[in-house]
Amino acid sequence: MIIDKKIVIIGAGFTGLGTAIKLLKAGQDDFVILERRPDVGGVWLDNNYPGIACDVPSHFYSFSFRLKPDWSKIQSPGGEIQEYLRECAEEEGVMPFIRFNTDMVESRWDATAKYWVIKTSHDTYRCKFLLTGAGHLADEFMPDIAGLDTFPGDVFHSARWDHSIDLNGKRIGVVGSGASAIQIVPEMQKIASELVVFQRSAPYMNIRNDHAYTDAEKRTFERNPEVLEHLRAWIFWFGEEQYAQRRMVPKYIEDAKNVAMAHMENQVADPELRKKLTPTYQIGCKRRLSSSSYYPAVASPNVTVEATALARIEGSKVYGTSGNSYEVDALVFATGFEAVRMPFTKRVFNAEGVSLDEHWDTGMQALDAIAVAGYPNLFVIYGPNTGLGSNSAVYVIEAQVDYVISALEYLEQNQLSVFDAKPAAEEQFMDHIHDVAEGTVWLDGGCRSWYVDERSGRLTVIWPDFPHIFREELSKFRPSVYELSA
Amino acid sequence: MKSEAVDKTIVVDGVNISYRTSGPVNDRLPLVLVHGTAGNIDSHFGFLFPMMAFRQRVIGINLADPGTETIAIEQFVAQVSAVINAEVPDGAVTLLGYSMGAPIAAKTAHTLGTKVANLILVAGYMKTDTHQKLRGHIWLSLYKEGNPLLKNFMSFNAFSPFHMRSRSLEDMLAGTAKMNVTPFLAKQAELNTRIDVLAECEELQARTLVVGLSDDFSCPKHHSKAMFGTIIHASYTEIATGHAVVHERPAELFYHVNRFCNDPECYPVGKVVPAPKP
Ligand SMILES: Cc1cc2nc3c(=O)[nH]c(=O)nc-3n(C[C@H](O)[C@H](O)[C@H](O)COP(=O)(O)OP(=O)(O)OC[C@H]3O[C@@H](n4cnc5c(N)ncnc54)[C@H](O)[C@@H]3O)c2cc1C
Repeated sequence: MIIDKKIVIIGAGFTGLGTAIKLLKAGQDDFVILERRPDVGGVWLDNNYPGIACDVPSHFYSFSFRLKPDWSKIQSPGGEIQEYLRECAEEEGVMPFIRFNTDMVESRWDATAKYWVIKTSHDTYRCKFLLTGAGHLADEFMPDIAGLDTFPGDVFHSARWDHSIDLNGKRIGVVGSGASAIQIVPEMQKIASELVVFQRSAPYMNIRNDHAYTDAEKRTFERNPEVLEHLRAWIFWFGEEQYAQRRMVPKYIEDAKNVAMAHMENQVADPELRKKLTPTYQIGCKRRLSSSSYYPAVASPNVTVEATALARIEGSKVYGTSGNSYEVDALVFATGFEAVRMPFTKRVFNAEGVSLDEHWDTGMQALDAIAVAGYPNLFVIYGPNTGLGSNSAVYVIEAQVDYVISALEYLEQNQLSVFDAKPAAEEQFMDHIHDVAEGTVWLDGGCRSWYVDERSGRLTVIWPDFPHIFREELSKFRPSVYELSA
Repeated sequence: MKSEAVDKTIVVDGVNISYRTSGPVNDRLPLVLVHGTAGNIDSHFGFLFPMMAFRQRVIGINLADPGTETIAIEQFVAQVSAVINAEVPDGAVTLLGYSMGAPIAAKTAHTLGTKVANLILVAGYMKTDTHQKLRGHIWLSLYKEGNPLLKNFMSFNAFSPFHMRSRSLEDMLAGTAKMNVTPFLAKQAELNTRIDVLAECEELQARTLVVGLSDDFSCPKHHSKAMFGTIIHASYTEIATGHAVVHERPAELFYHVNRFCNDPECYPVGKVVPAPKP
């Protein structure tokens, strides 16, 4: 069946749902959300590993237009965030617009008819505007490990946790020491007979300032909305202050490093282990983490930190690049996501049949971090240069949704139906981004991270300026940088 | 985007004034920063100076003890004017004064006329009032008797209760212990008890952004509101912190300073611009 819609949205995470809510508020209801999974939530549906929680305080890691006075904790568990998103979808009337279990297989721009043709695992859609909210941390990354097929035990990725497997009393290997791993490791330490953590590079970590809110505190937020607004602003501007560190202002780098190192030294007594846990790059180059339970967990007698990457597997024996080997019964890959080359980009084609992935062969880029020259009427949300080192992703997503709404309004008011980024404007915007990125810790911090595209050495995932500058500059459609036609 | 800072000195009335310049020359007016009581470039503008210097030319001044028994505000005005004239011989500047630096900046703008095209007055005041006189009286009495509680009194007045809530008493006391109480600081405290730049503010023509702080116990926001009313081309905004905005929320201060320097029209004359809601 072919279904016509004005707008098709891919994905029902923060982006897809936030867009839908704002479209409905703007009086637009000719849209559909295609979601390959059976429920809303995006990363918060996929990631349900033990210990999962957000690392930006919940009162800020939520929609500005749907505050939730009763978050259970400062940084709430993942399941609660997924429930919050479901509640948003239900109460804002978005559920009827979502087609679940529907995989977007191919999207193609038809230059003659001036619409997108979208093939899915079910129907085909035709729409004027395509909006991708497919996430840059939506598809898990599994490293290619020699001998993995010989491993007789249980193996899964952190984003596809297999809850049917009982890990109690097993010898467990966790591969990775990033944001997911540091939440998983303390939980595995409690149940494993032995646990080995493969750490390619040590992360910087701060105390996790977390506690459960009392009923009285929740009522205080509910009865005094201004208290909640004040708290949100406080969290936000604190996050903004951290940008000075990413900008490598020496005092901020020193302070941040001292705080992180003091935290480690408070929690780890063994000098050998401290050495393994001391990062070798500049703080902030990779995501700064927060945990009060990770160091105590890895300092426990049943845990070994293998301070090299997982190199190969021979049966139940797993080897680090150091040559050290360990016998394990189960392997958890907390190895992150395909953020630099988002898989959905292999499925989006321009009129000449070139996929976004091919088009971005030296790294992804978009005008105003949202539009791609040669791919008309496409909004890529939370794509290139939208990741934040120091604040909530929802803040950026909301700015981008405002951009979309203002674009649709502008086109309608001026009886235009097609926009396409001017290539020169896109290049100019990217030159500006790369100019700002120069000298930041993400490029000069001496680490290898998924923020940088190895093919070009450019910072393609991260927004390199203050997050508030993103909202200042990129939450409103700029007609002058587009070719516009009826 | 990189910015190297250069430290320089200039002699004013026989005294060495140190200052710092940094940042690219572009179509923005150079931004000149004047710190407040007990401050210097690093302690009051440790965030604002380098972060603005990534976007434009910035000049920070360390006010110096003129060596006289007491200080007249004119002596500080002379120091600021000298740096401006030396560093920006042609064209205009944006001048920012924080705390005691605000009346100094206002008076400098009055003296230099159109040279100061834009003015930013953060947590300032035009005329010492009874609340501030009483504070000054306590301050100077504690100083004269060498009372160690003086430092605690200073931080008690500097930070908002909300900010303190996220710290322990030990943290607050440890922070105050680092403060340096010098004879120069006592002279600043004494000057603060007799500030009066009301007449100058009434005549100011500079495009002015007044930034009041909602929980300021040193220069409560009614002073900023009065400046907003007095200065003809003024606009007003507020940040939800105590007097020490430069420590409590430097990024929100940066937000306003950066916007105003980029385009003062973002702050329409006569209007209160609400705080951004993130
Ligand atoms: C474990 C984890 C913790 C995180 N914690 C934080 C945090 O604390 N703070 C923070 O700011 N950010 C955090 N993030 C970043 C997070 O990605 C964003 O905050 C935000 O959730 C992104 O929302 P999204 O809707 O853009 O993408 P996603 O949540 O990734 O949603 C994308 C959706 O698109 C669907 N989809 C993808 N491709 C297709 C297709 N071809 N067809 C149909 N559907 C498709 C997916 O199934 C998914 O539902 C975290 C990410 C992870 C993985």
